[in-house]
Order: sequence, then structure tokens, then C-alpha cells
Amino acid sequence: MNDLKYVGTGVSREDGVDKVSGAARYTHDLALPGMLHTSIVRSPHASARIVSIKTEAAEALPGVRVVLTGEGLCYRLGLYMQDKCILAREVVRYQGEAVVAVAADTLDIARAACQLIEIEYEPLGAALDPREAMKEGAHLVHPDLGLYEHMQGVFFPKAGTNIAHHQKIRKGDFDNAFAAAPVKLEASFYNPPVQHVPMETHATIAQVLPGNRMEIWTSSQSPYTVRHLMSAAFGMPHASIRVHVPYVGGGFGGKAGLGLEPLAYVLSRAAGGRPVKVVATREEEFNTLPSRQGLHSTIEIGCSKDGKILAFKSTYTWDAGAYADYGVNIGRAAAYSGGGPYSIPNCWIDSYVVYTNKIFGTAYRGFGHLEILWGVERAMDMMARKLGLDPADFRRANLLKEGDTTITGEAFTSGHGSPVGCLDAAAEAIDWGTPSEQPSEPHKVRGKGIAMLHKAPAMPTYTSCGVVIKLDEDGGADILVSGVDYGQGTYTVLRQIAAEELKIPIERSHVTWDCDTAFSPYDWQTVASRFAYMGGNAVIQAAADCLKQIREMAAQALDASPDDIVCEDASAFVRGRPETKIPYGKLALGYTFPNGNSIGGPVIGHGRFIATGLTHLDPETGQGLPAQYWTYGAHAVEVEVDTETGEIEIVRIATAVDAGKVLNPKLVTGQVVGGVIQGLGSALWEGFRFDEKGRFLNPSFTDYKIPTAKDLPKEAKQIFLENPQPGGPYGARGVAEHPMISVPSAIGNALFDATGIEFTRLPLNYETILLAILAARAQEA
Amino acid sequence: MLGQFEYARAVSLEEACRLLRDEGEAARAFAGGTDLLVEIRNGVRSPSLLVDIKPIEALSILETNGRDRALRVGPAVTLNRLAENADLRDRLPALADAALSIATYQLRNRATLGGNLCNASPASDSIPPLIVAGAIMEITGADGTREVPLDCFCTGVKKTCLETGEIVSAVRIPTVAEGTKTVFLKQQRIKGHDLAVANLAGALSPIDGLLKFSIGSCTPTPLLLGPIETRGHSVDAISEEAVRLAAESISPISDVRASAEYRQAVVPALVCRLVHGLMKGGA
Amino acid sequence: MHTITFRINGERRTETVSPTATLLEMIRDQLHLTGTKEGCGIGECGACTVLLDGAPVTACLVLAAEIDGCEVRTIESEVVDGQLSLLQQAFIDAGAVQCGFCTPGMIMSARGLLLRNPHPTDEEIIEAIAGNLCRCTGYQAILDAIRSVVAEAGSRGGR
Repeated sequence: MNDLKYVGTGVSREDGVDKVSGAARYTHDLALPGMLHTSIVRSPHASARIVSIKTEAAEALPGVRVVLTGEGLCYRLGLYMQDKCILAREVVRYQGEAVVAVAADTLDIARAACQLIEIEYEPLGAALDPREAMKEGAHLVHPDLGLYEHMQGVFFPKAGTNIAHHQKIRKGDFDNAFAAAPVKLEASFYNPPVQHVPMETHATIAQVLPGNRMEIWTSSQSPYTVRHLMSAAFGMPHASIRVHVPYVGGGFGGKAGLGLEPLAYVLSRAAGGRPVKVVATREEEFNTLPSRQGLHSTIEIGCSKDGKILAFKSTYTWDAGAYADYGVNIGRAAAYSGGGPYSIPNCWIDSYVVYTNKIFGTAYRGFGHLEILWGVERAMDMMARKLGLDPADFRRANLLKEGDTTITGEAFTSGHGSPVGCLDAAAEAIDWGTPSEQPSEPHKVRGKGIAMLHKAPAMPTYTSCGVVIKLDEDGGADILVSGVDYGQGTYTVLRQIAAEELKIPIERSHVTWDCDTAFSPYDWQTVASRFAYMGGNAVIQAAADCLKQIREMAAQALDASPDDIVCEDASAFVRGRPETKIPYGKLALGYTFPNGNSIGGPVIGHGRFIATGLTHLDPETGQGLPAQYWTYGAHAVEVEVDTETGEIEIVRIATAVDAGKVLNPKLVTGQVVGGVIQGLGSALWEGFRFDEKGRFLNPSFTDYKIPTAKDLPKEAKQIFLENPQPGGPYGARGVAEHPMISVPSAIGNALFDATGIEFTRLPLNYETILLAILAARAQEA
Repeated sequence: MLGQFEYARAVSLEEACRLLRDEGEAARAFAGGTDLLVEIRNGVRSPSLLVDIKPIEALSILETNGRDRALRVGPAVTLNRLAENADLRDRLPALADAALSIATYQLRNRATLGGNLCNASPASDSIPPLIVAGAIMEITGADGTREVPLDCFCTGVKKTCLETGEIVSAVRIPTVAEGTKTVFLKQQRIKGHDLAVANLAGALSPIDGLLKFSIGSCTPTPLLLGPIETRGHSVDAISEEAVRLAAESISPISDVRASAEYRQAVVPALVCRLVHGLMKGGA
Repeated sequence: MHTITFRINGERRTETVSPTATLLEMIRDQLHLTGTKEGCGIGECGACTVLLDGAPVTACLVLAAEIDGCEVRTIESEVVDGQLSLLQQAFIDAGAVQCGFCTPGMIMSARGLLLRNPHPTDEEIIEAIAGNLCRCTGYQAILDAIRSVVAEAGSRGGR
């Protein structure tokens, strides 16, 4: 392990050249002959019956080829819960929902045609707050919920209600343990919905081909999931559906499942097989395409006087919005992570995924963990204060250690990494023991805060990845995989691993960039921080398969036993006799003896990885083994607040993650730096605003602010622990989502230190901070 | 591009006025387009003709030291050009700072002072410094040129007194006394580019010690406050007076950007900082 | 319809455009130069940044019809004789590229900065790219990339 040549080094991305030169083509950039362009009409109402749709004027506009409404598109789509239609049918369930789609020769014509569509609506009651939506008598977003197909044994929708799923954790005896606890705390918290804001909005091109086939080009994180869901929805064999994923301009979970693909397909079908492109405008990206669910949480903690957690209870009420496909899985994952990385002997969690008449949620980097840890890590700080303990000490005493069990009954071992190590490293980086040095200006205050994070990949128990490696005449390797590199850099890591294992130069190790379900082997989805782990393992296996084939041919060629063949420097030779070496290039397509006789054949290695040892969670107690591996980390932050304007600045932030093995320091650092800034967005600025009728108020960059180059912390540190993950490639664990997860909670904790105010609602924007400071002053007075 | 409009280039002021008048209400003068094209895209405005005034040299003048120390700026001067002019920075720093605070570097290469003023948003950043400087709008139509003080030019939220066929031909500040101190402050939601939640400009005259200030984003039309006599008074006393004056004059609303409560809360602090900046700040 | 003659990436072109076409639409759909991206359509994200007569502008808010006689530079102008520019190489080396969608606009903003000011201060570098939104990198590596080019130019006057 010590003399690794490529793994662990900062190899630059190969795709960098395409991207800096403008040569990289994203779905936005693709065009096919005869392609039509699409515009959609969105619902102005949060909840209404569609009375009539007049399309004649639109259809008559020259250049318009197709006008589609939901009528006639009776499909229900979804991976975990099939509750979504392609275009609204009979009712609209959120303001922004797509009601009519027009495909025309040009985008201008399609947009002009949409202006000619007349729709009559009859507004209905709406459920806008998930807590209200759970009550008896609330407007039902899906009256037919009981009839929807869903993943059996995993999700449990409650017919006749707005509850799409209820996940329970019942460990020990919370009621009695809490009642007996000498120190108790209860607090409530709120996260608004936010958007992923990939720089490339959703885009898809679909073409129906003769013989009931289709071809799709799409900005997606999961070509095989797209293929599978399209197959299920439209009743076509998988092999009749070909999905290409070119360069993708960011995903962050928003491009994980089905997006615009079904719409593009039905438009192409209606257009007689002409290719149809559907591209979301930025407004549609905010208002029509999915978000991260909002969350209301209530947390109760009971502790002993000396600071041991005895009992933990949380109620998570997820604002799933109008459709709950991914929402139900987030509700599930959040429950099994729902107590934070702590040893909790008695735990009671209810995680409700609730329909409302608002934009619907989907996977988002962190998969529910930022949202729950906002509450959990704030509550832990509050409890520390109640106990009179330092927040770091309180956490240290309760973090999971060897011998503890998680709240689903999983044993914690050293193979999980070191949560305490992460806490110590982050805290030390901001001089935790020393109070902030207060600024000279009297209206400014500083404070410090810390927060823990943890997450395991939230994925089905059968999640798998396949990899194929082909060798070429130059002794190089092409890696075929259908996980997607949408910026995180995993392809580069896979190249490094392949080069390391195959013993070839890194310059000769390539990942075939475009995914194509016709020839790229299966990968479940590129989400959940699992691609480097699973893809890496699969590459190791595929490389071993290549070397086995190499050795077999070389053994024959050199009259030796395969066990005596050494592979080094892209050549194979007999051990102890390097002068016998045959370069891979002479074996890659088979080997030809001097007399012309040929043996072997093209070297094609395959490898695969499937999640093992995972079990379903018991529907009543939540006990089970949901996690392939856990990744732990901590953030420590120092903030400065202007108490006259509410402006908050990050003086310094340190993020420590136990990566197991840093496969590429440049890439992993990039993930953490970027993730922290994305977390900063959630912490300080981002959040959807709705009016009292459920209409979206800030669907553009004018009023939905994300961090710019002017909004960076003064100082940011990234610390990587490397306690190896058993089973991980070179001991690595996934770290992709983790860097953003507890940024808001660390800042919330620092704000208490700075201002003495307990903030419970995100975002912590200047207005929220100033008004809270003034309210606190008024109360004191 | 959504919308149906024709595009015409005007090479003279006379031609621009004629094109605007002939097309009628549905024509718009077009310089940077950073407000106009966004409004067209969002369906807020549907002009039939865009008259490009950028080729008209007279509308791109930037005179920073005319007779009696006057300033004169053509409507098509971009915000970057305004912000980067050393003379302007020296003589009227509040206007230079205000221009620099608008949007992004790329947008400021297109957005113009004239466009910002004709958009007449209550949150305009260029209005407060021009108000305290006593700016006058020169308006040209078929019948010649008339003058309107800036605070009368803006007649309501996004409304000006421009008639059909008229165009702003210059923004003039009759005089800036030597040693005049000006300050611009803006409260945003984020350090990155943003519209103002509240913005302020102030001017302190060295001749008579009078302090004038203007608060933006808190009233539907431009607000000029003062003058306050500063001679013989402490900074704190003037601040208190200015805060009192501000509180009784502003009527902020709640919108998607901020609540009225936040605006009410943040304005006093900004007014104090403004006064301190004018009375204590360096040269 | 308007007939315009202009130079793009050093090449003289004559095109016929509709009055409502934006420069961004013309570049991408008519000239098929897809390196310049659309991120928002309202000038807020900077993904469509090009140089118009040397000045960085968001092409989504420029009408094609108005660029008669102008000079346009897009990301495709950075590679010369098959070689990446120092700026492009610096982006790769610094890890300033993740999904890559903001990258062309970022590089053009940086190019515009270096053309008008080869020795910018850190503040000027930040101001130059503050109008370019990035969701992946957190900006640090992008600033480092530009700083490295400035530093190198400082020591040897390179491109």
C-alpha cells in the first residue's frame, strides 16, 4: 500500500481539456436532424381541477407539430412510489406543474404557441403545510394513494391520507427512559425546500424509432434507472430503450431519477418519431423540476446529569410536495440516521413523508441528512448547555465507539472510521478551547460552533455496479462504466485505480466518457456517495480479470506457468527473467507466435460489485442493516455578526472527514471545498418562498441567491482522516455528500456563541439574524 | 428570444426621437437592455420596436468638469465606464460606488446610467447619489429639450414623466462644490451581486456645512431628506437627527426580498454610518 | 431580418438574424459554437460570458442584430494551434473544473480581466468572476488558477 504509484495522488482530470476548451458537449449542446423544440405551460395554481384546455390556436400556429395535454397520457411513474404523471391529469397539484407541452420547429414558435393555450381551472382546497396536511379533514393531494404501486415491504403509504410513508425506529424503551432522565430537552426546527441549482438545467432529447424502440440523450445521473423506469412505464423491453448520457453540468441528486425523459418520449411519439428536445429554462428548473424537501422536526433528548444520552426521540415531518417518489426514501434514510452519530440506548423516531400542494422533492446531496442534522446537532448543543458542558466534550462522550450499536441495531466497529477523530481535528483547527477574539468594532461579535455529520449510502439492498475494461494495441485500457461523472471526478479515480492495478501508465488509462446503455455495463445510479466505492471495487476486479487473461497468454507464449508470469510496466514476463517481457500491446488482441499461430484473443476484463449484507428495516422497529458503510465527519466554524445589520461572515471553517483513503487529494479537496460552499448556501441564503396560495415567489437568481466568489469564508480548511474502510477500494469510503451536511448546524451553533440566541429555522439570513437580535434585546429590556 | 419586436439603429438624437414618436407607445429606447430584455423575456413588457441609441455619440458623453464644476453624463454611458472614471470617483464618489454596486461586471459593461434611471425602480442604486447631488434630467423630443429635476422625473414605481417620443439626452449635475463629501451605502442580502434591500447616499457641503441624504428602496419615489445644519453639532447629535428624519419619512414595504420590519430595523444603522462617513471619514 | 457583418474568434462572418435573436442564440444555434452556455437567460449567472469588443458581457442579453461591425470572442478562441492557453491549463492544474458548465464563462471573464489588466489585485480578480456562478467548485480553485496565471505573467510576461 505504501508504494502506490497513482492512487492517492492528485492526477488531473482528463475531461478537463474538453471542458476548458468548450469542446465538451452536454445534452444542451446536442442537436439531431429534424429535431423539434419544446415549451411547456405551467399551472398557476397550487391545487385546482383542470376544467378545459383550448389548444386549437396553438395547433394552428405554423411550425407547431405537437400539442399534448395529460389526457391520453395515463401513466404513473416512479421508482419507489408510482405517483407521478407526465403532464397533469384532471387536477394540478402544485403551482409550476407542467400542464401542456408544445413541440415545434423552433423554440420561439413553441413558446409563442404556449401563449395561445387557454386553460380554465377551478381552484380547489390546498394542503400547504405538511403538519396540517397530516390532520384529519385535510385536503387530499392524492385521493387514490391506496391504489398506487410502490416498493413493497419497504414503503408503507397510508391510503386516505396525505402520508406517503411512515418510517419508525423503536429501539429500547424511550418512554420510560425519558421519563426517568434527570435532564430533558425539547426543541423544534425547520428547513425550507431548496433547489439543487445545477448550472446545466435539465435537458433531454428523445427519439422514437421504428419497431417500438426509443433512443434518449439526457442530462442524468442514472442512465440505467432511466431505461428501467421508461421500460416499466411504457411496457417496452429494456433492450428497446437506449440511453446516452453525455457530459452533465451538475446534478446534486436532482437528476437522479426520471426527469424530462417521459415527456420527451411521448412528444416524439406524437410527432411521428421526430426527435424532440426538452430543456428546462432556469425558471422551470426552480418552479417545475424537483427540489429538496422541506422539513419540520421536533426533538426530545433525555440525559443523565453527567451528560450521557439516555433517550432520544424525533418526529420528522417531511414536506414532500405534490409527488413523493424519492421523498419516501429520504424519509426512510433520515430515520435510520435520525439520531446522529451517537450511542443512543433508547430511541424513538417517526419520520413522516407528507404530500402537500407544492413543488415536489427528490434526492439532494445529503439525502435528508443536512435537514435532520440541522435539528439534531442544534439540539445536541442546546443539551450541552443545559448540562453545563462544553459542546465538544458532550459530543465526545456520546459518539459511537467500538462496542456500541446504532439505532437500527448495527454494531459500530473501528472499520467505520473515527467520529471522535474528526471532532478533535475540526475543533483543534479553529482553536476550540479558546473563545473567539472579539472585534474592536462594538457592533460586531464573533462566536464558534461545531457539528458532527454522518451518512451511509441510502440505496436498495441489491445496488450494484459493473465495469468492463478493454485493452488496446498501445497497452492502454478503456474503462466502460455507466456511473456518471457529473463533476465529482470519479472517472479520474477509476482511471487511477485501473492504472495502478494493471500496472500501466496513467496516460494510457481512460474512461470512455459517454455512458450508453447499449454498451456501458450496468450501474444503479450515481448518487449516495457510492460510485467510487463500488466502481472502484469493480475496476479492481476487472483489472484482475484482464491480468489473468494476459498471464494465460504470456504463459503459453513464454512456455511458463501463469503463476510465474509477472505484470509490470505494461508488460508480462517470466519471474526472474525480465528479458522475456512481452508488452501488453502484443497481447491485447491475442498473441501471435513468430510462425503465425495465434492464441487467446482480445483482452476484455469484467468486474462487478453488489451491496452485501444489507437487510430491510423492520416496519415496526426500524431494526436492520441499511448501511454498506458509514462516513463520519465534523465541521467547526467561527462566525462574525454585524449586530446592526444582521450580516454574518464566516471567519474560518474547518471540515474533517474520515475518508478511509484519499484516492485523489485534488479531487476530494474539490468535493469538500465545493460542498462546504453549497452547505453555506443552505445555511445562509437559500429557501423557497411561497405566498399564502402556495405560489412560488422566487424562481430565479434575482431572488434565489447562491454563493458567489464574493461570499467565501475568510479561511477554509479541509482535513482528511484515513482510517481504512474494510471492503473499500484501497480502504476508501464515499465522501461526496458529506461536506455540506452539517455546515448549517455548525453555523447555528456558532451563532449562539456569538449572540446568545438559539436559531431554529433556516436560512440564517441577515434579516432573520437581525430581527432575532432586536427581539432578544427587547425582551431583556 | 420571446417577443416580437423590430430593431432599429438610430445614429442621431433626432432620428431616435422620430423613430420613437412614429412607432408610438409601443417603442422603447434600447441601450444596455439589461432591464428591458429581461422584462420582454418575462412577458412584463411587449414593445414592438427597440430603438438602439448606442450609436449616438452625443448620448455617450461623460463630462466630469464642465463650467461651474458641472457634471454631464449621457444616458448611454455604461455603469463600468462611469464607475471607472477617475474624475468622477474623485468628485462624486457616491455615484461611482453606486454604479459599482449594481449587478455584475459583465452586466455593467452593458447597463447604462440612463437605463437605470428610466427603469425608475425604487431600489435603483444610482438615484440616491444623483438626488443628493441635485441632478437634472435633460429630456429631448421632437419639440426640443426640456429639463426636469430627478426627483420629479420619477413619478411612481417604475414610472417616469417621459412622454411618447421623448428620450433622456443627458443627466446633469449643475455643480459639485469643491470639497463636497459624498457617501453611498447599500444593504444587500448577500455579498454577491444583489438588488438593494435599502440604499442610501449623502452629501456634506464644505461651504455651508449642510448635510443632505437620500434613502432608496423605502418609498415609491425618490426621497430627499435634509438639509441638516451640521456646524457646531456632534456627529452623534446629527446622526440622531438624521435617524429621526428618516424614520418619519420612509414607508418600506414587505416584498420577496425583505420585510418592512427588516428595512425599518436596518435603515437607522445605515443612516448613522452614513453620517459618520460624511462627517468623520477621510478626504 | 438584419444582415450583420462581424468578426468572431478572428474570423469574419456575415449572418442574417431575426431582430429578436440574442447573441447567445446566434452563437450556439446559427454558428454552432456550443462552448458558450445558457444558464439562466437573464444575465445573472455568467455562463454565457463572451468578449464583445474586448469587454466581457452576458450574450443572453445582447441582441445579435446590434453587433454589426463588432468583434466577438468566445471560449473557442482560447485554444490556438491546438494548444491550450496558460489560463486553460491553469484551470485544469488547479482543479478548477468539476462539471465544467460554468467553465467557459469563467475563462472568458478571466480572459477579459487579463486583457484589460495583466496585474490585477486579488479584489479585482474576485470582482471579475463574481458574476459567474459555480455550484460545484466553491470558487477557491478557480481563483487559485487565475492567480497562478497572474503570478506567472508577472514573472515572465506570458500569454
